Amino acid sequence: MRSPLCEDIGSMVRQDDRAVILEIDNVTKAFGAVQALQSISFNVYKGEIVALVGDNGAGKSTLIKIIAGVHTPTSGTLRVRGALCDFKTPADALQVGIETVYQDLALIDPLDVADNVYLGREVLKKSWLGRVFGVLDRTQMRRATGEALSQLHIKIPAPTMPVSRMSGGQRQAVAIGRAVTWGRQLILLDEPTAALGVEETEQVLLTIEKLRDEYGMTFIVISHNMQNVHRIADRIIVLRQGKHAATLDKYATTPEEIVAYITGAKAQTYESHKDG
Amino acid sequence: MADGSLTPARSVMKTPQAWINWLSKYGIFLLLVVLVVALSIITPLVRGEQYFLTPRNLTQVMLQGSINGIIALGMTFIITSGGIDLSVGSIVALAGVIAASVMALGSGPWIGLLAAVATGMLCGLFNGFLITRIKLQPFIATLGTMGIFRGLTLILSDGRPIYGFDSAFVDIFSQRVFGEIPLPVIVVALLAVICWLVLAKTRFGKYVIAIGSSEESVMRAGISIRRYKLGIYTFGGVLTGISAALLTARLSSADPTSGTMFELDAIAATVMGGTSLSGGEGTIAGTIVGALIISIIRNALNILNIPSFWQQFVIGAVIIVAVALDQVRRRYAQRVG
Ligand SMILES: Nc1ncnc2c1ncn2[C@@H]1O[C@H](COP(=O)(O)OP(=O)(O)OP(=O)(O)O)[C@@H](O)[C@H]1O
Ligand SMILES: [Mg+2]
Repeated sequence: MRSPLCEDIGSMVRQDDRAVILEIDNVTKAFGAVQALQSISFNVYKGEIVALVGDNGAGKSTLIKIIAGVHTPTSGTLRVRGALCDFKTPADALQVGIETVYQDLALIDPLDVADNVYLGREVLKKSWLGRVFGVLDRTQMRRATGEALSQLHIKIPAPTMPVSRMSGGQRQAVAIGRAVTWGRQLILLDEPTAALGVEETEQVLLTIEKLRDEYGMTFIVISHNMQNVHRIADRIIVLRQGKHAATLDKYATTPEEIVAYITGAKAQTYESHKDG
Repeated sequence: MADGSLTPARSVMKTPQAWINWLSKYGIFLLLVVLVVALSIITPLVRGEQYFLTPRNLTQVMLQGSINGIIALGMTFIITSGGIDLSVGSIVALAGVIAASVMALGSGPWIGLLAAVATGMLCGLFNGFLITRIKLQPFIATLGTMGIFRGLTLILSDGRPIYGFDSAFVDIFSQRVFGEIPLPVIVVALLAVICWLVLAKTRFGKYVIAIGSSEESVMRAGISIRRYKLGIYTFGGVLTGISAALLTARLSSADPTSGTMFELDAIAATVMGGTSLSGGEGTIAGTIVGALIISIIRNALNILNIPSFWQQFVIGAVIIVAVALDQVRRRYAQRVG
């Protein structure tokens, strides 16, 4: 149906536990005259949480959208598990196992939780009706969604309630639940706690940490909250005016230092933050 | 949220928002009942005899509503997906003229039906092509094809009605089944059930709602919007083609000027029924009741000897009231939720 997106990923899996999930090499993105990203390069390794920070308009969402296949880079390359990838549409990134929770969540309001979690991945009835007319097996999808979400300790009200009637935290939980259900390689979270209260934020952070620690899942998380960033991230990548300003190690930095890099009060030389 | 769940059940209907929600969901059924009761009382008073509430007249109402009802079923899918189709009336004329011409040249009734459906399908496909490939707004694309299809109809027929085809075509569709029910009424009922199943139970129906709710989100889920939109407009075209066949059979001829203003009735039935013009919400049952109400309004105006010029006026007003109510409901929903 579609031409191969990537070289064969399976054959390129490395055996060491620092397996590279994502390699971003020299990625640039221009929207007309606006230079949103300039030669960004970094790696993301299996089982780590990388925080992407920077001021408003620094280019964080743009970078996430390039990895998610929403935008194509003006130049530069992406590799997933060593395989060169050229995403033309979001479908391409999804197929490789990269899931995204967008800043605006990208939920379908009138649909219920299971319909949202299975959007684009519907389970059809096994009978001929299902095959010929695409009849949905909602019972199956609701059961699986309920199980998956409770395993993640994500609490949602009635599975048949349209997501439009849910609170901000519940909607966020649904979007995260969808991403972690399908994200085999990498999960991108664009400000997952921005709209949430203290308790709901804590719940989301715990879920992300648990998924990393127990299932070895890999995340790139955008956040403006430096305390949260410092708490959950293993490494912090700072963007400033579309440029890669710094890569910081959690144990060698403080929230104050991260802020200094974001505002430009401090700067790393290019060589010192380039990955291995 | 917390407030709502603490409100005692008996006072639920006391808030204006609860009333508006209830009305927007079930108001259409209430309106149907009110209309029928009112007309059953008014007609004998005005005309001195019960012309409205007779089996014969009610059958007639359903028969006349069936043409619009079938078109409105397709319109429900299109509007639910956030689109609109203004070309349905022209498709009715084109499909009718092509079917009648094919039969006038000697083809049998089933080939005639097939020709009508195929014409409707191709017209819908063309609308879908303009919308998904040329990326025109549905409003503009179908406004253009409203002219194109009508023009094509007039060119093909040389502006003259087409008669003289196999009377078997007329006989088939004027059959009465289960006693006194005209076949077109059975057809619309069957199609309504199919459309309800498609919208509520299938992946296609789910995507129609999803696309109407947020195209961006659907695209980010890796779904081909293009393919499904093409499907939606084609589906609408097929239903309009079926409707054209029924109309041609009922009139025993195909008039190139028929179908004028049919889009008004179809859109009115759809939005009155509760399908939202902003997309993401659609109801098949509502659309069918909407089509029935429009047919009743036309019938009542006739029976009460009100000049037929008032029909367009009333139906236009119905669209405006229905959409205005929907907007009031949304504003309340936003304020509360
Ligand atoms: N689709 C687009 N078309 C044109 N310019 C864009 C587009 N998307 C982003 N930009 C521009 O690119 C720059 C980076 O935007 P981006 O949304 O990536 O910032 P961000 O770091 O996510 O900011 P925030 O913290 O406010 O979410 C901004 O100058 C923005 O105006
Ligand atoms: Mg952003």
